[in-house]
Amino acid sequence: MMKLTENHTMFRVILGLTAGLLAAVWTEVVAADTLHIHVTNVPSSEGQIMLQIVASEAEFKGEAPAIVSVMQRAVEGEMSFSAASLPPGEYAFRVMHDINNNGELDSNFVGMPSEPWAFSNNATGNFGPPGWKDVKFTLESEVTQTIKLNR
Amino acid sequence: MTTTARRTFLQQLAALGAAGAASPFLSPDAFAEQSWAEQFNNALETHPWLKAYRSIGQTAYEATAEVTGNWPEDLTGTFYRNGPAQHEIAGYRYHHWFDGDGMLQAYHLSSEGVRHQARLIETYKVQAEREAGRALYPGFASIPPEPAGVTSPDSVNVANISVLPHHNKLLALWEAGSPWEMDPETLNTRGIYEFSENTRGVPFSAHPRVEPDGTLWNFGYVSGANLLVLWHIDANGKLVKIGKVDADPISMVHDFVVTSRHIVLMVPPLNYEPSPDRPMTFLDAHVWYSGEATRVLVVDKNDFSNYFWTELPAQWVFHYGNGWEDNNGIIRFDAARADDPFAMIDTFRQVMRGNIVPGSSSHHHQYRIDTSTRSIAEVPMFSPDVDSEFPCVDPRVSCRQNRKLTMLSSSPSTSAIHGSLNEVSTFDFDTGERKLYRYPDHQMPEEHLYVPRPGSVPEQDGWIVGTALNWRDEQMLLNVFDVSHVDDGPVATATLPYALPFGLHGKFAAG
Repeated sequence: MMKLTENHTMFRVILGLTAGLLAAVWTEVVAADTLHIHVTNVPSSEGQIMLQIVASEAEFKGEAPAIVSVMQRAVEGEMSFSAASLPPGEYAFRVMHDINNNGELDSNFVGMPSEPWAFSNNATGNFGPPGWKDVKFTLESEVTQTIKLNR
Repeated sequence: MTTTARRTFLQQLAALGAAGAASPFLSPDAFAEQSWAEQFNNALETHPWLKAYRSIGQTAYEATAEVTGNWPEDLTGTFYRNGPAQHEIAGYRYHHWFDGDGMLQAYHLSSEGVRHQARLIETYKVQAEREAGRALYPGFASIPPEPAGVTSPDSVNVANISVLPHHNKLLALWEAGSPWEMDPETLNTRGIYEFSENTRGVPFSAHPRVEPDGTLWNFGYVSGANLLVLWHIDANGKLVKIGKVDADPISMVHDFVVTSRHIVLMVPPLNYEPSPDRPMTFLDAHVWYSGEATRVLVVDKNDFSNYFWTELPAQWVFHYGNGWEDNNGIIRFDAARADDPFAMIDTFRQVMRGNIVPGSSSHHHQYRIDTSTRSIAEVPMFSPDVDSEFPCVDPRVSCRQNRKLTMLSSSPSTSAIHGSLNEVSTFDFDTGERKLYRYPDHQMPEEHLYVPRPGSVPEQDGWIVGTALNWRDEQMLLNVFDVSHVDDGPVATATLPYALPFGLHGKFAAG
């Protein structure tokens, strides 16, 4: 009985692994998804636009490295970014305009952002930063989000 | 009700409200919002004094007042007032008195008469909602249908509490964000005012204290960060220093006092406890703990990192008259003290749909802090049947010892049909004498201020100047009393040909 169960378990694990591998291969080859992000309301061409795409709440909270991190010199007005080859799933992103090139989002005396920022879904939160449920979205094949920088 | 029961009850109430606003299916909001406006309009027919909470009909007013009585020829200058005035936007009526967009008013007083003007303050919120053609933002205690996100406190700043003429600037004040700079002549909105780049957007309360030499002290509270902010600004408007004090749990703090050496703030046990699982208004994110202490913070004016905390029983104070300190380090101040904040939580909410709910009244108390033993005591100043609010003193003794106090008051036996305070009182600390003038029932007084007679001895000569809504005849009145004989009634009255919504606070700028 014991042995059977172990065999069974082993079998299920192998099956599961195979299915997972197959799924992964299929995803890579057939269904690599693309995320397009249009950023509007860029106030100036000074400094850098920093974009982070995250694939989990842990990444959103900064407990794990983001799946994509991009920096590009700012262009006043609108800018576009695309990330391809992303496995389907839940994602979120944040954008900030590091105007003074110091590598971080500056804040005022009490910690409120003093440089432009935005989150996916144009989420803003309510009397505080937005949570994972506000920023997450499902990526399937191709998703385009137009995001306005708050300033 | 026990603390726990009351807390649960409040949370359930809040959750009910939030669930209604958030439902994506039934869309009850249009009906519900229409219903608030309808309920209010229905109540207005039977309670015409509710005109005090009507929304403004236009964004600007201007008129020359009709003056009666003997206008004092040396009473010249501008009496500025501010308050929530736009209570409805495209059919959506706010659910709280404090939600309305601010309207700045100026009564220009001169030997030629009294000229009045009023302008809606063109905040970011007012501009965005005008462009959208609807109410967009969650406010103090209201969530309009399909609300837009709050990107910063200043994105929902309604600039509706008070006004401050200081260093040749005129600032319209809210308490959770920046001041708005106004043109003192035209009342046009110039924009957000910042004392320095690093302090843009840092909360600046509506009750700064200005010392006789022009030195300005203020505070702010940052709910999300459990912080109190302290501001020190010189007479020329230069930021001298700014500091932070951890105040976890944070609450709403509306006013404070300053002495020659210290800053005193009370943090009532109305704790900010937002829940991420439900959309809540700012007011509904607060929970009242009647069994917990009101924490009292005493800070060294010269060194914001040097402070101590002491405690009082749970209580709620909107406004203080004045604070001062003797050579032995004894601080004294007075306040309109209520047992709880339910006037704000219930009364000022329900009145917006015409429901008249009595709130906890406030009674004037005097407080004594011994800075050497770090202890505090409080005693009532009048008999328990005297309600009080809007205390003030001669600005020439601000933050110094005062012997006189002016305030609005009322007593149950002589209360008016409108239920609001119906008297203006002056009190003499040396003689213990209180004099009062009782307004007729069809007039509802707003805050009254002590305006010094130029060149006179502090607290010895001047006028009590204040406005009142004549709801019966749809007029605004500006009344002038002799500081020594308020009981004789107004010596002069300026009457405007229109009624305006009940406002909050004002300041007088001589000149």
